[in-house]
Amino acid sequence: MSAETAVRVRPAGYHLVRIGARGRFLLHRRAALVAAVLVALLAAVCVAYLCVGESFVAPGEVVKVVLGQPSPDELVVGTLRLPRMTVGLLVGVAFGIAGALIQTVARNPLASPDIIGISQGASALTVGAMTFGITSYTVLPYLSVIGGVAAAALVYVFAWRGGLHATRFVLIGIGFAIALRSVTTLFLTKGDYLVAQQAQIWMTGSLNGRGWSEAAPIGWTLLVLLPAVLWAARAQRTVSMDDDTATALGVRLGRVRLGLVALGVILASVATGTAGPVDFVALLAPQIARRMTRTAQIPLLCSALLGAVIVVFADLLARKLFSPTELPVGVLTAAVGAPYLIWLIIRGQGGGRGRSGGTA
Amino acid sequence: MSSTPRSGAETTASDAEAAVSDAGAATTDAGVAVAEAAAAGATAGRLTARGLTLAYEERTVVDALDLDVPDGRVTVIVGPNACGKSTTLRALGRLLKPRGGAVLLDGTELSKIPTRRIAQSIGLLPQTPVAPEAITVGDLVARGRQPHQHWWQQWSEEDERAVTDAMERTDITALGDRSVDELSGGQRQRVWIAMALAQETDLLLLDEPTTYLDIAHQVEVLDLVRRLTAPAADGTRGRTVVTVLHDLNQAARYADHLVAMKAGRIVAEGRPADIVTADLVREVFGLEAVIVPDPVTGSPLVVPGAPWQPGPAS
Repeated sequence: MSAETAVRVRPAGYHLVRIGARGRFLLHRRAALVAAVLVALLAAVCVAYLCVGESFVAPGEVVKVVLGQPSPDELVVGTLRLPRMTVGLLVGVAFGIAGALIQTVARNPLASPDIIGISQGASALTVGAMTFGITSYTVLPYLSVIGGVAAAALVYVFAWRGGLHATRFVLIGIGFAIALRSVTTLFLTKGDYLVAQQAQIWMTGSLNGRGWSEAAPIGWTLLVLLPAVLWAARAQRTVSMDDDTATALGVRLGRVRLGLVALGVILASVATGTAGPVDFVALLAPQIARRMTRTAQIPLLCSALLGAVIVVFADLLARKLFSPTELPVGVLTAAVGAPYLIWLIIRGQGGGRGRSGGTA
Repeated sequence: MSSTPRSGAETTASDAEAAVSDAGAATTDAGVAVAEAAAAGATAGRLTARGLTLAYEERTVVDALDLDVPDGRVTVIVGPNACGKSTTLRALGRLLKPRGGAVLLDGTELSKIPTRRIAQSIGLLPQTPVAPEAITVGDLVARGRQPHQHWWQQWSEEDERAVTDAMERTDITALGDRSVDELSGGQRQRVWIAMALAQETDLLLLDEPTTYLDIAHQVEVLDLVRRLTAPAADGTRGRTVVTVLHDLNQAARYADHLVAMKAGRIVAEGRPADIVTADLVREVFGLEAVIVPDPVTGSPLVVPGAPWQPGPAS
């Protein structure tokens, strides 16, 4: 990256970044500021996460362990807390991005993977497998990815009629979510009591017992998909208009939308496979991020950071609040998320102007 | 790249030659014809429809329609509700796939041109565009530059100039930082038109651009449309505009080329003074009317028959 020069640009609130001779990138000033604040907040939450637990560790020692320097608290921080926190962070990032993309395509703040059937698809297949005796934690995450992607594919196919209709996409998704939840319940009632209990915990979303072996797959997934995420951040802009206008501006709407949804579904499924359906993170993070940045579309980076902040902070509370009893992290995200969801609905689906998802 | 009107015609001349064979003799040497037309101001145009049949589900809305859009002119499509005028406009802007026939740009079928390439030649403003929530005016107008941008070049001096120019032409420069949500209907419509202008396309399709506006703003928008088609000082021909209007009198005033449609077919087309007659109004709208010369412009003015009045009791 070479010289950065600010130039007066027309879209108010943007900063022009020049890279090389031809590169010109628009940076939303407020979004960049919010992102910086969120990085600082995330760092603070992470340090707090590593400090707090059954025994308190001083922040100085925590930083030492993270930086790989020898410390007496190596075991507690480095072996017990750090891997679990990393999983939470990655899960939050994945949910944050997934929610942003799905909400963008559906043009509806209610559309998130845990509302339109993706989490339920993952749950149905995972719980089904558990009742049939597959309990290996090396197999189950993959099953839940398959379940999530399959459910999303079905919703997409059923919502397609010569084009993707945004409102129909959400409604059919909700229908599938309800149907799949019944399937899960069926498995739970038919299955063994102990299996049902184990499945119940997984379904609430929990980071208990997660470590480096869970962090690696989701970490790699995010890394491999990074170019796609960068593409999505730009492509999101183009689908935020109505279909006719977007097409008139030369957007290949069908492909772009399919790409965005596919990316969102994969990330949501992988995150669900890792920690179970941690409810409402994918719903909350994009909406809060957007209200903070006041951008015309959901800011992807801020949404990812906020997702991480929410999950890590919620898991911190989940571990500490009723210590030594530990809550599944999903209970806490739901406790915050559910009232917010109701508030969103009462306010008339965002914006307060009664402008719903609209046609696609 | 296609900010000058003629470039598109030249770059696709070879494509045009390949495609004309099935389109009939009318478009032979379309590329050359377009270039000449541009210079001479003749009526053969870049955008044509051949045997265009359009349908929603099972219902055929437009049936085997042929249309030549004259370059550098204002073409206005009029007709009663549900006659297929907006549908036709949507097809001209590739928003609707033809059931039969084709829309040709420089002699090439629209369906064979990448949509982004089309967006560099044809701009389109739909009837009810929806802006992203809370977007600012400047941001929305800048989105019109999309077909000219790349991921590594999200803003250029050219973009800057086009957006500034579009906002000046529509008189919304002062609104740049405002949120589109909080504007009045008239202001919002001007913002959308500015976005379409910022796209800097040779062809501009406007679907009922005056619908939500009061009469002063209607006139303002239509005057703007006429200004767009005026040749530049250096002799380059102006832009080509196709618009759907509800008001027959406005259409007659502002159209160079008037197209009257009924039940999916063109009933008459030509200069308003040549085609707007009492017979045509009766045939197209089923309305008895008197045609008088417009006292200001001399264009035909349609005055409907006497309103209903309580007659003498019988």
